[in-house]
Amino acid sequence: MDRRTFVKSSLGAAGLLVTGLDPFARGDISLPQPPRVQVRSRPQEKASPLGMPGLFPGRVVEVHDPEAVIGNRVSQPVVRNMLEQGMKELTGERTVADAWAKFIEPADIVGIKINPSGAPACCSSPEIVREIIAALQLLRVPASNIIVYDRYAYEIDVGSYQVLLPPGVQILGIQDGFSDVSGYDPNIFCEASFFGEWETRSYMASVVANKVTKIINVPTLKDHSASGVTGCLKNLGYGTFNNVARSHRSPFSFTNPLIGIMCSVEPLRSKAVLHIMDGMRQVWHGGPLTQAQDFILQTGTLYLGTDPVAIDTIELETIEKTRREKGAPSVWERNPESITQNSHEFYHNAQKNLFYRQPAHIAAAGTLGLGISDLKQIDHRRIA
Amino acid sequence: MTSVDSDWPALLKDNSRTGGQQAAAARAPSRARWQVRLGSAVRSSPVLRDGILYVTAVSGTLHAIDSQSGRTKWKFQASGLVHSTPSICGDKVLFGCDDGRIYAVSCESGARSWEAVSQGEVWTSPVARDGIVYFGSADARLYAINANTGTAQWKQEVGGRIYSTPFVTDKGIVFGCGDANVYSVDPSSGKILWRTATGNGIDSSPAVTADTVVIGSEDFWVYALDANTGAVRWKYETGLGIASSPAISGELAIIGSKDGYVYALETATGRLRWKAQAGDVVTAPPVIANGIVCIQAGGTFAFETNSGKLAWRAGLGGAVQSVPVLTDKVIYLTSLDGEVYALE
Repeated sequence: MDRRTFVKSSLGAAGLLVTGLDPFARGDISLPQPPRVQVRSRPQEKASPLGMPGLFPGRVVEVHDPEAVIGNRVSQPVVRNMLEQGMKELTGERTVADAWAKFIEPADIVGIKINPSGAPACCSSPEIVREIIAALQLLRVPASNIIVYDRYAYEIDVGSYQVLLPPGVQILGIQDGFSDVSGYDPNIFCEASFFGEWETRSYMASVVANKVTKIINVPTLKDHSASGVTGCLKNLGYGTFNNVARSHRSPFSFTNPLIGIMCSVEPLRSKAVLHIMDGMRQVWHGGPLTQAQDFILQTGTLYLGTDPVAIDTIELETIEKTRREKGAPSVWERNPESITQNSHEFYHNAQKNLFYRQPAHIAAAGTLGLGISDLKQIDHRRIA
Repeated sequence: MTSVDSDWPALLKDNSRTGGQQAAAARAPSRARWQVRLGSAVRSSPVLRDGILYVTAVSGTLHAIDSQSGRTKWKFQASGLVHSTPSICGDKVLFGCDDGRIYAVSCESGARSWEAVSQGEVWTSPVARDGIVYFGSADARLYAINANTGTAQWKQEVGGRIYSTPFVTDKGIVFGCGDANVYSVDPSSGKILWRTATGNGIDSSPAVTADTVVIGSEDFWVYALDANTGAVRWKYETGLGIASSPAISGELAIIGSKDGYVYALETATGRLRWKAQAGDVVTAPPVIANGIVCIQAGGTFAFETNSGKLAWRAGLGGAVQSVPVLTDKVIYLTSLDGEVYALE
């Protein structure tokens, strides 16, 4: 395929995203329209039925245990129990092994996409990742066929995942510096010029494109200064493609539509079969990088599903509720007075933000067929 | 291994892991003598011997750099990524590699002398003592090999990955492990002498002084253990997990925590002498110079050893794990983005 021959369906969808999908936006500023995003997927990639929105569109299982986090430490036994309950509820299976077998086969090479970007204050808990690894090994997936990965190696270091995960499991930081492109596939990319940047492409990570056969996504529950929240979709999209920070330049953010478009690119879409959101902690302001404990709640919750849009919709509601309770403005706010370019002010004042956030990226992903964003259609099951 | 003058042949200066407290430097740097870009990220610490600085880069290269001029004397390419801090043993530079090997390279020529193999990444720094090199691997084994030939002497399996550089004494080799235990093994046989459980995996490398082992754990606690039995003498709770390693100076053990603070604890009692904030997150080990504690945490911070008062701060060397080399007149730093600095 010539580099200028792109996937037309995604192009069309991207065009749809730019209007009419911000129904809750409030305030008094008109934001710039995002450019068209051109996509080059893998040619002839056949979509998997396990791919997003997966086996259970619209279903979100929320499991809460007040004993899950005590003194900022996550309890391994409690998390194990929560995960087992959640997997059985999600799948309707009686045993944990049968529940996991809905998604994973022994011959799979399984990628576990963590989010270490807020480490150590809020990142994918090693305790949850250890339990996922144990479940995969229950299915006889060899440790060497399990790859825990994220984009930035140094962020994985800060989380100490290397030492905390079992021997034999691969731990991969896709890139070591901002300009390292060796871990990316030059044939799969999204292309757009957002702010006149010199590099207009974002390439898919080779480990996703060419190595793993299934992905288990383990995002965290966080506010995000540019996208509104960072959940399943952003962890997957912006954690798979490089050169994504260019999509937001204060005060404007084009995370909508880019996040959803990236998640729809094959083979990422087909390989992401299960999402386990780590809600052990909830960052309600300052995400994704804050270390300020004032904005982090120890909530002790897991959210499970195959539909990233539905989970992120619940996440968005959860963070909005907390922000209301704390007297912070909605993530939909469009008030110019709330914008600051002083990151120190942003990190210490919940009234301020660096960008006009784009939480509509979740509903936009829904229009690409990645899941359900209408709360009335979401099958939200709570276990406590 | 002994060091002379400004030599700095191993992690935290030498095998005593005192952090270079004999060095006379640690005044605020005023200018760069030189700066070298290696072309790859650096996530290890430099070492220094006879005017040559040895630096490993993630891309798998070991660089020998003239400390006066910054010129590269030679470069050695390993076959995998490298995160291990090199150490110097006789006329060889040793370092671990993600390909599971330990490489021994001639200090003079940069030629490979020997290599030894494990089954997992080696991020620890090899430690040499009495002709034996000890190193831990992510394959959950501690290895002992002949320093001259690389021939295996023994290996001891434990319950988790090893990223903690061992501290070697006559009585035992002490290290932390991903299975949450601190181990002491017999130097001659590898037999486990004792193990002490903490509440989570251990990234931190121990320091031993006066029969006391000091080490941090990801369970947020700093532990002091009896070096002979492993019994807990005291423990001190910080605000988050600990990946930093302690440096010991006289009566103080100094260590960073991911909560962003550097803690100075009395080695005998665990009583907090002071704590000082050094950025949002601290994972690097501190080093101690004359009256100064130096640590990298998004920049380089220097605190007065006695009080914890900030003495100076430099915006260079943002590496998350690197330890600066302090000499009489120059501070050598590496940074995550692959820069090596010599600051006067």
